[in-house]
Amino acid sequence: MTFQEIILALERFWSERGCLIVQPYNSEVGAGTFNPHTFLRAIGPEPWNVAYVEPSRRPTDGRYGENPNRLQQFHQYQVILKPSPLDIQDLYLESLRALGTDPSHHDIRFIEDDWESPTLGAWGLGWQVWLDGLEISQFTYFQQCGGMDCKPISGELTYGLERIAMYLQDVDDVYDVQWAQGIRYGDIYKRAEWEWSTYNFEQADVGLQKKLFDEYETQVGVLLGLSDKKGKGGALQFDRMPLERLALPAYDAVIKCSHYFNVLDARGAISVTERQRYIGRVRLIARAVAESWYAQREALGFPLLDTLGTLGTGTAAQ
Amino acid sequence: MSSEFLLEIGTEELPASFVTQALRSLKAGALELVGQARLGTDALEVHTLGTPRRLALRIRGLAPSQTDRDETVMGPPWSAAFEADGSAKKAATGFAKKHGVAIGDLHKKTTDKGDYVSVQVHEAGEATAIVLAEILPQICQRITFPKSMRWGPGEISFGRPIHWVVSLLGSHVVEFEFAGVRAGRATRGHRFLAPATFELDAASSYEAALERAHVLVDLTRRKERMMEGLLAAAESLGGVLAPDAFLADECVSLVEEPFTVPGSFEESFLELPDTVVVSVMRDHQRYFAVRASEGGALLPSYLNVVNTAQDPRTIAKGNDRVLRARLADARFFVQEDRKAPLADRLQKLESVVFQSKLGTMGAKVRRLQTNARALAARAGADPAACVEAARLCKADLETLIVFEFPELQGEMGRWYAMREGIDPAIADAIRDHYRPQGADDVVPDQLVGAIVAVADRIDTLVGCFGIGLVPSGSADPFALRRAALGIIRIALEGPIDVDLRELLDQAHAAYAGDAALAPADDVRASLEDFFRGRIRAMLKDAHGADVVDACLGAWDGSSLRDLRSRIEAVSEVRAAPEFEALAVAFKRAFNITKESARGPIDPALLEGGAETTLAQRFETVRNQIRAATGERRYADALRLVAKELGAPIDRFFEEVFVMVDEPRVRENRLRLLGEIADTVNGIAHFHHLGTKLQGRDPSVST
Repeated sequence: MTFQEIILALERFWSERGCLIVQPYNSEVGAGTFNPHTFLRAIGPEPWNVAYVEPSRRPTDGRYGENPNRLQQFHQYQVILKPSPLDIQDLYLESLRALGTDPSHHDIRFIEDDWESPTLGAWGLGWQVWLDGLEISQFTYFQQCGGMDCKPISGELTYGLERIAMYLQDVDDVYDVQWAQGIRYGDIYKRAEWEWSTYNFEQADVGLQKKLFDEYETQVGVLLGLSDKKGKGGALQFDRMPLERLALPAYDAVIKCSHYFNVLDARGAISVTERQRYIGRVRLIARAVAESWYAQREALGFPLLDTLGTLGTGTAAQ
Repeated sequence: MSSEFLLEIGTEELPASFVTQALRSLKAGALELVGQARLGTDALEVHTLGTPRRLALRIRGLAPSQTDRDETVMGPPWSAAFEADGSAKKAATGFAKKHGVAIGDLHKKTTDKGDYVSVQVHEAGEATAIVLAEILPQICQRITFPKSMRWGPGEISFGRPIHWVVSLLGSHVVEFEFAGVRAGRATRGHRFLAPATFELDAASSYEAALERAHVLVDLTRRKERMMEGLLAAAESLGGVLAPDAFLADECVSLVEEPFTVPGSFEESFLELPDTVVVSVMRDHQRYFAVRASEGGALLPSYLNVVNTAQDPRTIAKGNDRVLRARLADARFFVQEDRKAPLADRLQKLESVVFQSKLGTMGAKVRRLQTNARALAARAGADPAACVEAARLCKADLETLIVFEFPELQGEMGRWYAMREGIDPAIADAIRDHYRPQGADDVVPDQLVGAIVAVADRIDTLVGCFGIGLVPSGSADPFALRRAALGIIRIALEGPIDVDLRELLDQAHAAYAGDAALAPADDVRASLEDFFRGRIRAMLKDAHGADVVDACLGAWDGSSLRDLRSRIEAVSEVRAAPEFEALAVAFKRAFNITKESARGPIDPALLEGGAETTLAQRFETVRNQIRAATGERRYADALRLVAKELGAPIDRFFEEVFVMVDEPRVRENRLRLLGEIADTVNGIAHFHHLGTKLQGRDPSVST
């Protein structure tokens, strides 16, 4: 199977099971979780079933195109099933069959792997899924998002597309993966890996990144009307009513801050103590967005409660 | 013959630590609730079974029904329940009604607080199945996990989502509901080898039925099967299994039926240090290593415990590929690391935070050198080697390989140092200064390693205590208890003694300019207490808490080996038959003279007999005892005390009354006993020692 056939097979599989097929987010994200189709939709009572590819950037993982396994940008296939159906593991295993892999002829293991995103104030419990010793997916039951308890719980499946493709195509070097017939992964991305690694590690303007971080952080406060004062128990206070807040542009700014932080980190421009402070700053604005999003949905009467309540995932109906 | 009961909770894959804790709490909860419910018999047997996908409980020896209960239930005060003429008030009728008895069945019960109404209640036992149905939800709720999660609607919390519950008493379903799942007789086999749901006909057929469905539900059996497979596979590869208890526990908890799939890697990877190859396989992939012979060279092979092995070649091929990439990464890291000498990393340590208030690792390393130099001078070790080892001991923290495999810290530093041609004594010290890592680990056996190990730990202890980071309860994030224990063990088992007081002041002084610590006197005082606590905890089981306390009392807080000599000496004399009487006599001497003034003994005031004998005998041996004590020959000192003073002091207390009216005679006697008590106290505080005769000692009440 070529890289794009894998994507198409997963799109078809999850579409047939009732997921909305949406598109990657048009800003730099570190993982599919950052896409608002996951981060925001996991908050609140409304059901949500969605699947999409997410090109994900991890500046520190860049290797100038020289390492056969590590990339500063890779592709995740992200599935969110909310509420998580009881047969979510079976659905996942079926999806492997859709990729031409019969789970009973391989060694498939669910290995404990708790997930936490300190910047997003999100965490969950779950597994890495191993296929013959290779970690091919992350499987997470979201417990908290943006510092808010999740209810119902979203089940998140994240497929590592490059790894799966390397396995299916039996190649040892990611750049040898066939993206489509006659065109390799390296033909498309090798130069990009070198340029971005050089940028992230050597040439990114530290002053500019820091400035952008500060500016976007300020923007979040402005767009949400976030007050400097805190309420009881550190509760966030807003000067704008929920529907007057611009939660989506504010969330964009959160994503930008997170990305600039990652670049600064790769650039070696952040000391250990600064690091914690930066993470805390992103977490705070992510929480402000999460709470604002929830307040907005509530003000709107949680409109998807009924319309999407019947969408389900077909075979997952309980 | 009562029936066997089975409970099985089917879940999604539980982590190993979850299963262990869950089964422990399940068993405890079952024992407690079955007992409370009066279902137990003498033959009661509660056993737990489990795999990643199921937690099970088997109970044998249940009573066929609950035992009857007869109980006296107390009611309101008699006077509030009955009029003086005996007619019932509202309180009496209410109480009788509540327990379903007639007024005439109420009795008067006299207690300390007055007369009360009481009634004899008889409750017939219910059938076991009915009682079980009531207590099972509670038993399930008693199950605990290191972390719980919610799923789906998010209402329920458990280790992982629950899929089915089996509850069988003999061949009958005991109906109840837990976490929204109705208990029944349907279970499932292995996820891939027997995925269909099937029904159990009886509790007793559980294990056999599951085994047919490719699930070995008993952990011990599963582990035996796994180990057999591993040993056989190692042999077929022409080698032996490299044992790894941690990995064995981990692997057995990841499968329902264990299979072994061997795999291999290119021989050229064996140029890497063994520890790296083993760590790559173990940490990242959970593979067992294979050696040519026990403790021999690694073979370019590994053993993988898997849950299914329908197609071992495919599985091995996939795993080989993953391992090859991992080993290639490791080789790249080692090659990169070797491009620059270890010492080049010191600069990087300047920007690594040791602790935010205590500064950088670079500063710590400089303090370690100062501390190591002082320790070397005291121990007669080569100061240059100790300082150089201290300088390099943390350098490997900035290597790529240690960043990837933190547990190789020290090991890799040593390996790189050896290849740079650094003095092996220094290279070994880089590895050994982390020892002992825990209670089971060895202490450094060479001077340089021991000195750097102590220098490192005391720096952490003094720094943390100096900024108020003191362990409390279970919170000890800097592992300060382990650090203190490490120093104690190095002094007692390793090649150097430690003068604790001197060391504390030395380490405090080394912080000058690096961090603002509390004053040296305060830090020393709190750390001396801390060390005393650790010493007590460490030695009390072997020597008895009272012996350790007695010696800690007499110890000046300096040499740890001095303390050990005291403890050994007291332990030795304590075993002697005359010890008991001796200890009692010295306790009396100590207690009676606690408050009295010391001073020279006036021979003219001695009244002959036992008193004079004791005074003369003491006069002859006092200097010998003090000399032996001063030279730390505590066993000799105690033997002298026992031999020379044992009988005379016993006789003294038998024949002489100390607290006579004549003040000068009394004071002289107190001075004599005070001198003796002080002399013995210089060795150990005998009044801390437990004695069997203690309770009968008449003189203690001074």
